[in-house]
Amino acid sequence: MNAIEIRNLTKSFRGMYAVDHLNMTVPQGAIYGFIGENGSGKSTTEKLICGHLVPDGGEIKLFGKDYTDPGVRVRVGALIENAGCFPGSSVYQNLMMQCINLGIKNADKEIKRVLKTVRMEDNAKLKFKNCSLGMKQRIGIAMALLGDPALLILDEPINGLDTDGMRIMREILVDITKKYGCTVLISSHILGELEKIATHYGIIRQGRMIMELSAEEMDNRAQVFVSLKTKDIQGAKNLLAGRFKSVRVEGEYIRVYDVNDSASIVDFLMKHGHVVSEIRKNKIGLEEYYVELMSNKEGLNDE
Amino acid sequence: MSKEIKFESPTLAKRIKGMLGVDFYRLFHTPLFYIFLAIAAIIPAMVSGMTALPDPNGNMTALYSNVWQIIATNEPLYVVREIADYANMNMVFIFGGIMVSIFIGHDYKSGYVKQLFTTHAKKQDYMISKSLVCAFAMACMCITYFIGGTVAGLLVKYDTEVNVPALIFAIAGKMVMSLGWASLYTFLNVIFRRYFGVSIFSSFFFGTGILIIGAAAILEGLGLPGWILNVFLYGSSVNASLASNLGTFILCAIISVAWAFEYNLLGTMILDKCDVY
Repeated sequence: MNAIEIRNLTKSFRGMYAVDHLNMTVPQGAIYGFIGENGSGKSTTEKLICGHLVPDGGEIKLFGKDYTDPGVRVRVGALIENAGCFPGSSVYQNLMMQCINLGIKNADKEIKRVLKTVRMEDNAKLKFKNCSLGMKQRIGIAMALLGDPALLILDEPINGLDTDGMRIMREILVDITKKYGCTVLISSHILGELEKIATHYGIIRQGRMIMELSAEEMDNRAQVFVSLKTKDIQGAKNLLAGRFKSVRVEGEYIRVYDVNDSASIVDFLMKHGHVVSEIRKNKIGLEEYYVELMSNKEGLNDE
Repeated sequence: MSKEIKFESPTLAKRIKGMLGVDFYRLFHTPLFYIFLAIAAIIPAMVSGMTALPDPNGNMTALYSNVWQIIATNEPLYVVREIADYANMNMVFIFGGIMVSIFIGHDYKSGYVKQLFTTHAKKQDYMISKSLVCAFAMACMCITYFIGGTVAGLLVKYDTEVNVPALIFAIAGKMVMSLGWASLYTFLNVIFRRYFGVSIFSSFFFGTGILIIGAAAILEGLGLPGWILNVFLYGSSVNASLASNLGTFILCAIISVAWAFEYNLLGTMILDKCDVY
């Protein structure tokens, strides 16, 4: 069963499409990385799924049921834009309110559980307004985790976090999907981080889904390249371009794409009098793949 | 990786219980409610106390002649001509409007409203819960107003003679009107949810009952009796006077519930058709 199934979803603001006949499929149990530029429609889509915005058209199904079904929605946890907590209330009080809202019976135990999950068990008494940005994001996750959610919708949860904060957040997300088996829809600009946890990706542009693929498919599509350094970069590049299909200069390095045998490249350059001072084999990451895709107009067709 | 998930649809009662729980928790755990309870007690005390003081010539210009006039007028007065006829427990509905605006405004300002609407697919939950909790808060304000007004009235030694059942029906009538007023303010705050200042102003404007003057003029022009004004929230609130009886209380309850139902329905329709924030 799919956790989220969206067909032809449309939402416009003042006649401009923010979400334009969007189709989206998030398999149950997936960590779905939702990628797109600023204003591409990620947050709007998430708000539509959460029922904060009213769609102009289309269909949203959560676990096979209409998204307005109260039984499904009560199992959705969300962190959209901010944690949605009362600043003057303590972390504990904010979580308590959400427990009451969800009708959780053993609220105190549940609060302690989620605070432990987000590694904030010692900060329950802290007023929300006195928390750091990283803490607020984690409290937002804790709020979303209350009541055994089947689906988590997280909008830029790692924005503004330091390296350590990002690592903690990453570990939390992997942990909760493994432990509780919930599906996570996560949007982020920090693609390097997303790549470490996502099992599926959806790439959106101008309100339209331009590509959906699993991490495995992504891995297969990602180009392998050999990166090398020589004294005469331009000369070596021209030489390699005559022999290999795709050669590019990136800063101080030459990249030769879709080549597995790096030794043959070294031999070839040596024969022509170029000394290779550095060489390594690599694969383009999600970020580069995304940049490539965005710069390639042909890639904008629905797949 | 995926497990079978069972979804149980919560009943309306269970959904409302959850949201009511949150709203009551917030009401009792934040200073707003207590501040407005204090305001409701202080205002009648101030009005009666200050107006009962002698002027520089030593003349007394007492606003009321009887303690219970601080609570309600002797007879229903839909269009008032003196401040004494205006300054009674109906003022609670003005402060109450401001309290509701701040209470609901905090939902939006903090972003907590997103949590509520994510987990509550049915928008009526929000309208019903806010209306009931704010009605409770306003009813409590009526009680502190009663205490403040009575204490001040006794201190300045106003006459205490009263028809006790009529007084009880007047207070109970005004308290029950809180539901209609709270629903109106919730509805106004849903309409102006993006504009906090406009929400407060509109609540204050409707709370003053200024529109009743226009309605009264129309009725007079048409030669219709004044009691028709009781169909309005302000009219019924005024009708709960020191001449009240069980019939007055029942009418107040019917009018209050009818308007509450209407405003809840309209508010739900707006939230269903429009983006919630």
